[in-house]
Amino acid sequence: MTNGKKLSEKSIGAVCAVVSIGAFIILWYWGTQATQLGLLIPGPFDVLKAVGTGIVGKVGRHSILAHAGYSLLRVMIGFIIGSLVGVVLGLLMGWYRIAEAIFNPLFRIIRPIPPIAWIPISIIWFGLGEDAKIFLIFLASFSNTTLNSMAGARSVDPEIVNAARMLGASERKIFTTIVLPASVPNIFAGLQVAISSSWATVLAAEMVRSSEGLGWMIVAGMNNNDMIQILSGIVMIGVVGYILAIIMRRAEDVLCRWNKSGK
Amino acid sequence: MSEKKTKVKVNHLTKKFGDLLVLNDMSFDVEDGDLLCVVGPTGCGKTTFLNSLTKIYDITDGEILLNGEQVDPKKQNIAYIFQGDSTMPWLTVEENVRFGLDIKKIPEARKKEQVDKYLEIVGLSKYRKYYPKQLSASMLQRVSIARAFATEPELLLMDEPYGQLDIELRFKLEDELVKLWQMTGTTVLFITHNIEEAVYLGNKIMVLTNKPTTVKKTLINELPRPRDIAAPEFVKLRNEVTELIKWW
Amino acid sequence: MKQKNKMKYFCISVVSVCTVILIWFLCINVFHMKSETVFPGPVKVFNTFLDKLHTKAPDGATLQAHLWSSIKVALLGYALGALVGVPLGIAMAWNKWVDRFVRPLFDLVRPIPGLAWIPMFILLFGIGITSKALVIFLGALIACIVNSYTGIRQTKETHLWVGDVFGASDSQKLFKIAIPTALPMIFTGLRVALGTSWTALVAAELLASTKGLGYMIQQARAISRPDIIIVGMLAIGAVGAIFDALLHLVEIHVAKGMNAK
Repeated sequence: MTNGKKLSEKSIGAVCAVVSIGAFIILWYWGTQATQLGLLIPGPFDVLKAVGTGIVGKVGRHSILAHAGYSLLRVMIGFIIGSLVGVVLGLLMGWYRIAEAIFNPLFRIIRPIPPIAWIPISIIWFGLGEDAKIFLIFLASFSNTTLNSMAGARSVDPEIVNAARMLGASERKIFTTIVLPASVPNIFAGLQVAISSSWATVLAAEMVRSSEGLGWMIVAGMNNNDMIQILSGIVMIGVVGYILAIIMRRAEDVLCRWNKSGK
Repeated sequence: MSEKKTKVKVNHLTKKFGDLLVLNDMSFDVEDGDLLCVVGPTGCGKTTFLNSLTKIYDITDGEILLNGEQVDPKKQNIAYIFQGDSTMPWLTVEENVRFGLDIKKIPEARKKEQVDKYLEIVGLSKYRKYYPKQLSASMLQRVSIARAFATEPELLLMDEPYGQLDIELRFKLEDELVKLWQMTGTTVLFITHNIEEAVYLGNKIMVLTNKPTTVKKTLINELPRPRDIAAPEFVKLRNEVTELIKWW
Repeated sequence: MKQKNKMKYFCISVVSVCTVILIWFLCINVFHMKSETVFPGPVKVFNTFLDKLHTKAPDGATLQAHLWSSIKVALLGYALGALVGVPLGIAMAWNKWVDRFVRPLFDLVRPIPGLAWIPMFILLFGIGITSKALVIFLGALIACIVNSYTGIRQTKETHLWVGDVFGASDSQKLFKIAIPTALPMIFTGLRVALGTSWTALVAAELLASTKGLGYMIQQARAISRPDIIIVGMLAIGAVGAIFDALLHLVEIHVAKGMNAK
């Protein structure tokens, strides 16, 4: 296939996307202008305007961007700590049977409990501040990365390991130079689920108890019967969620380049 | 002696991928009941050739006629055995062999008859409830062969089906193919890069050139069967084919 | 030899769990590291569990009643999400035009976590089963679409060619080749969707409900009864795990060919 053909496929896709999204926005606009729908939800341009004013002005005590920042900060801290612990524990559990025997049963009891279900108890234990929220995000990241890291360590080709042993490599060397790199694709799959789970968790935590953040923003909108605030919050949530997903995918592309089969 | 019917007529077959010319104005005939072996240098577009014949690839120019009509897998009975494994992993051996008959909506009783018959011929009756995951490479090829022959195709295309098997298995499967061919009278187009295999199997041998591919020469092979690969006439024909390929 | 090893590891696991419970007991009931009104010990949790099986106080319903209420809503939203999501994902992957028009819209909605829609649904539909079911529906829908899509995309070209040569129609290729290929991933999607649904349910019940397990633990926090919270959390975990195991059993039964040894 020459470049000529490929380009037209991409441009067809782009045109259809514009048509499709455009049609949706037009339908939305017409719906709110011409029918009862307008009584329930605001039109698309009102929402966009609200996002704009929210960025320059304030929603509650901060601008929209600041709210997003608060949410993101909580996610980052919890995600980094949680993933680190999860990856290390998962790799150990996948590689050393004894680690698995010790930790897996505990893990299997804790894991099915969604991080969101920890919200009430975290408030009793940590109070209404940041600690509770970061704890929850830690949980969300931890449970998702452990499982995948464990699978990653298990997926290592035993032949390679045996070859390394025969060549005299120490167990620690085998772990750092063979097991670790081989697990990276699995670890990344776990990280991607962890980041989207963390994003959902921080929003839930903020919705239940918070004074800033995007989750607070949409719940405040609900309490004030302010649909525009809710929708502009949702737009922001989507944008941030999208950016997080893209960053993760780029990181994976770079670190897992060797795993992509040429097609 | 009756006139041999022309089964497949190919006129000026041309295939381009964008600007890349792969098949260049190929014209040839295949007679009813031929076992035509197609050989050529590696990478000369043999797979493209077969895929174009079956309309898997759209051709850029030319026409392909089967029984005098435009080739159309939906109306005509064609089968294709691919290079490597093409069995469906979610079906048992028996269900795999039935696959073509299922697509063509053959009545149940006849389906059962065909499946049983061809499973028996390729020696896999015992394994009918097994899954492809549990079988060896040669057994998988046998499943594909049984699947192809079960539909009693007018035209059977084979793309280096024995390429990944060891010599002993190769010989065995080649003999099985000859047996099936003689039994059913199917017209077969067999692609291979193994010249010995081509001379062993084919009653005609078509030599292709390098890209842009065209038909170099078609040789007739009238050696009596079963053929002896060490016999002087065999070796002579084999060398003749080799020379044809080497020049290009 | 292998059996002996398995036994050994099993014992270690059992010891591990018992040790944790023991440490829990020691920390709370023996060393009093935290008051039981903040972090209850294992005995209290167990007693509360038994108690809650037949007491409606302090939140208005027994444990089973809350459980049943949660399960009903979750399954409703999940079933709808799967019934719409799986065919939609398949259609998007199979038909180029559906893909071209639907996928951009889908990509817009996808990064928004299901529970972010809760405030909007509450304003539109009030607190109740509609809002909850919708949120769960969305979450399950997205997971099913993504996985069904990926599954169909994995269909091998060679297999489609086999169909082509036998003269298969487009729908024959879809049902006899693409969907069987996608089945493992469709099941993965169903399992992920189940987890998402269950999580969305808890979130919805924390914010907008008058019954259900999420409501139960939220109420328990309001009146400072962490023992009820823990009972509720364990119940939530247990139900989630049981449903997942059930689905796994179905999966093994249906996708047997691909899983054959």
